[in-house]
Amino acid sequence: MSLAKEFSKGIVSDNPLFRLTLGMCPSLAITTSVANGIGMGAAFTAVLLASNIAISLLRKIIPDSIRIPCYIVIIASFVTITEMVMHAYAPALFKSLGIFIPLIVVNCIILGRAEAFASKNGVFASVLDALGMGVGYTLALVIVSTVREVLGAGTFYGIPLGGASAQSALIMILPPGGFIALGCILALLNKLQNKTR
Amino acid sequence: MRNILKLGIFLLVVAGVAGLALSYVNTLTEPIVISQEQENKINSFKEVYPEAETVKDESSKYLKSDEQKIITEVNVAYKNGNPVGVIYTVEPKGYAGAVRTLVGFDIAAKKITAIKVLSQKETPGLGAKSSEASFMDRFKGKSAESAVEIIKKEPVNGNQVLAITAATITSKAVASGVNAAREHFIANFVKS
Repeated sequence: MSLAKEFSKGIVSDNPLFRLTLGMCPSLAITTSVANGIGMGAAFTAVLLASNIAISLLRKIIPDSIRIPCYIVIIASFVTITEMVMHAYAPALFKSLGIFIPLIVVNCIILGRAEAFASKNGVFASVLDALGMGVGYTLALVIVSTVREVLGAGTFYGIPLGGASAQSALIMILPPGGFIALGCILALLNKLQNKTR
Repeated sequence: MRNILKLGIFLLVVAGVAGLALSYVNTLTEPIVISQEQENKINSFKEVYPEAETVKDESSKYLKSDEQKIITEVNVAYKNGNPVGVIYTVEPKGYAGAVRTLVGFDIAAKKITAIKVLSQKETPGLGAKSSEASFMDRFKGKSAESAVEIIKKEPVNGNQVLAITAATITSKAVASGVNAAREHFIANFVKS
């Protein structure tokens, strides 16, 4: 696989949210606004990048039988660091993402990339993999949250659209709206894929 | 046996390094977090009682019994060394947990200066509107001498407040917090 492909696979063919359908829980919960989607995507990318680098550096020393606990310790540390930095420098974002920052620890995408990619590949390839996956996940979050915020709150990135008279479909920013939006987007993508085949 | 020991020590080293890194980052970020929270508190005090020169936390003096569960803090605002206003922190129960609210009173005018909803977990788009200025401003200037009442149509008399559409529970929760603070304020700060 070429290096360019290591990067781009996370965005299109192996998109963590739309193609691998990993990390569903935080994705459904935080996509109520575009700002949240971008914040979560950035935090996720930072953690994935750091943990992919650390794990691919340590891949030859970590004994095979205890690799999973080691990965968890490494990932949890990076998540906690991200959480503390965010609390200090971006308190508004920290408040709106709430419980979902610590939950990045158990986000299966990160452990999945550590196990499937970083533990078998060099540092450079792992960096590209992390960046691709991070960008892909962020893009996916932004797409879902755009649909939900525009339909549910009548705003985009906090900017009101369509004037005061427009009635928004509140259900789209409530929990059921997450499933509806994601389901429709997945169906649309499958349809497009079937056509191109 | 030797293998178990080796693996155990390896994990110990990994966890130890991780712990060291975390405590180092914590020493860097903790002071920033604390000073930020302090600053936030002072700024929100300014919003509900703009004329305050210094604000002192006198909760221990005014909140003696455990019965007053809604009121969590009593802060007295001073100007030229005299108490001029009181800022309460109240935590009434809303639709989905506590609605933390600041309520400011002016002692001389016996009026609510302003309220500010600090944090809430209410439904987005409905009860969450309680932290928007359009709702909080409805409490401005209400008299402290009679109870604030939430109604669903345009208010007619002085101490009625228009509820948030489709979020009556949240509106009533905020009002109950305001009223708890109001009763305490009348009982402790207004000399009859």
